[in-house]
Order: sequence, then C-alpha cells, then structure tokens
Amino acid sequence: MADVAPEDGGSAVKKDDGGLPVGPQPGVSYPISVHYCKECSLPVEYCDYGPHPEKCRKWLETNLPELVETLATSDTPEAGEGDEKKHQKRGGKGSKPAATKKAPTKAPANVTLQRAPRGKNKSVTVIKGLGAFDIDLKVAAKFFASRFACGSSVTGADEIVIQGDVKDDLFDVIPEKWPVVDEDAIEDLGDQKR
Amino acid sequence: MFKKFDPAEDIIGTQQLKSSVQKGIRTKLKEQYPHLGDYINDILPKKENFKQVKCRDHVEMIAREDGVVLFVKPRDNPYIPTLRLLHQYPFILPHQQVDKGAIKFVLNGSQVMCPGLTSPGARMTPGLEKERVVAIMAEGKQHALGIGVMKMSTEDIRQINKGIGIDNIHYLNDGLWKVTTVS
Ligand SMILES: [Zn+2]
Ligand SMILES: [Zn+2]
Repeated sequence: MADVAPEDGGSAVKKDDGGLPVGPQPGVSYPISVHYCKECSLPVEYCDYGPHPEKCRKWLETNLPELVETLATSDTPEAGEGDEKKHQKRGGKGSKPAATKKAPTKAPANVTLQRAPRGKNKSVTVIKGLGAFDIDLKVAAKFFASRFACGSSVTGADEIVIQGDVKDDLFDVIPEKWPVVDEDAIEDLGDQKR
Repeated sequence: MFKKFDPAEDIIGTQQLKSSVQKGIRTKLKEQYPHLGDYINDILPKKENFKQVKCRDHVEMIAREDGVVLFVKPRDNPYIPTLRLLHQYPFILPHQQVDKGAIKFVLNGSQVMCPGLTSPGARMTPGLEKERVVAIMAEGKQHALGIGVMKMSTEDIRQINKGIGIDNIHYLNDGLWKVTTVS
C-alpha cells in the first residue's frame, strides 16, 4: 500500500485499518523534511493556530505557493483583522494579493463534508474546499441542485450548502464530476452539533 | 512543563561529556525508544560529541555539537525528543491522535482530556500503558503538535473517557520550541 506520503503538506498519513503508523514506514526516507513557516515558526499546516495567520499566508504565497491550500481549507478562517491597508505596506511587486492561480496539481487541499441540522427533522450538507481545486462554486451549486433535485447555493468564500442529507452520495458524485478531487481528499466531518 | 522555559534564566550550564557517559546515554535512548535503531547514529553520530545542558528544576537537555537541542529530560521523566527532532523521525514515539477540536487546547498547553482522544476524529494506538511518552498528533495534520505522557492506558482512556488522558509536556510554540540551539 503506498498510502504513506513522505511528501509534506496536509493530507494526513493514515492507514486503512484505522491504526496509527508504528515504527519507520516503508518507502519513507528519514529525516523527514518539514516545511516550517518563517513567520510563525510552526509547521505550515498549523499556521492558522499561530499568532498571525494573515502574515503567514503572505509568506506562504511568496515562498511556498504550492502549500497555500493547506491554509485555505482550514476551518478557522481569520476573517477579522483582514485590514487590506496593512498588507500594502512594504510596497513593491513582491506581494501579489492572492493572484497565485495555478494548476491544481496534486493539491494538498481537502474537501470537507458535514451534515448540519435545519429545522426539526431536516438536514443540510455543507461542502467546503471545492474552491481550492479551482472549481467554480456557482457552477458546482447548480450542478448539485439538478443532480439531487433540491436547493443548493454558495454560502461562503468556499462553502456550498445543499438542502438535504446527501453527504454519502457526494463521496462518489464529486470525484466523478471533478476528477481533480480524489475521493481520498474528501473528508467526512460528521454531524454538526446543534 | 516547558510553557515558560526561558534559556536566559533557566539554563544553568553546559558540559561536555566523557565518551563513556555519551555511550551510556546512547544506549539508554535506544532501550527507551527501540524504533530508533540505527537512526540513533544519524541523530547522534558516534564521531561527534554531544553535550549536556543543565537547567533549573532538574531538567537536563542533550544538544548536538552545533547546539541543536535533541532530547530533554525533565525530572523523574525519561528522555523525550524535542518536537523538531520528532518531526524528522516521527516513529521515535507511539502516536495518539486528538480530534480537530482539541488542537487549540493542546497548543495552549492544556492537558489532553479523554474525550478528545475518543471522538470520531481521534485515534489511539492500542496497548499503550500509563507513563508512556507519546507523540500528540491531530486529525487532518501530518506533524505532531505535542509530546506527552499517558496518564491512563489507551484502554482506560477509551473506557473511562473522562479526566486527563495525556499530560501535555511539550507543544508547538511553547518555551522549549523557541529554544532552537544552545551554546
Ligand atoms: Zn509540513
Ligand atoms: Zn505561519
């Protein structure tokens, strides 16, 4: 099984049997080289938990653009503080604001699915992370609406809500429609608590 | 434990070690962490001398010749690898995985409570006894965010499912994390 990724960046090293890896893993050469963020010193996958994720993002965009998605799909979007003026200092062309649109190669990004309660007995399905794969969210929402014959809309920066519990189907439907999203890149977040 | 570690205040002194003492420490590390195997020779090459750094509160650190801190030994505890070393060689310690929701608490220095180890996003290595040193991993993350000591066995954590499961000793961005090298 080649599911132990020596490459760094997001997708967790997991084993199918539900166990955690024990001992040196075949196919991995040690020492593993870890991407530490020069802004906050943490492994980049933890930048969102550091003191200033906004600064980290700038640093990542310039230095490790292929890893920006690890931040983009985090569930702790630092919406506040996003004072645009702050980011314009230190002028020059160095910092292109989020203009890093490149082919979503083997994106370390994840799509997350979560069931959330609506009303007494109804559920909706929340999908996050499709945008990180360069998928047009509006088009995607429309596609889901016709596929599942129910309401579906873009509800956030990278969030789509489908009216209905279709989470289980999405594990097949999404990779079928957008092959760039591997089924393994879809994460089940379970049920959102009331 | 290392939340407030400050090298300027907490380091008492550095000493070179006799080669017989170094050999003893190498042996002890290999006994304690059998998966280290021959990787110990990459981590602490036989040809190089490593040094011992004495700190307050009976804490001892092992640093490479160039000052990079590799292991720390808090009083009454075995040697534990630093997180940076563990990131390079994650198999040194057995893994316990907390759910996503527990990440921010661990990074705040909180103890790991049992429910954070038994929820759907969590995973545990079976058969680990109380007092084992473990890597604290997290749902959806590749690298360890902390190192701790089990306060209950894996099976007890699952069964009892309340109280402290793992004592959080060293975590990303704590005082020890900020010490990269010592002179
Ligand atoms: Zn990394
Ligand atoms: Zn950072």
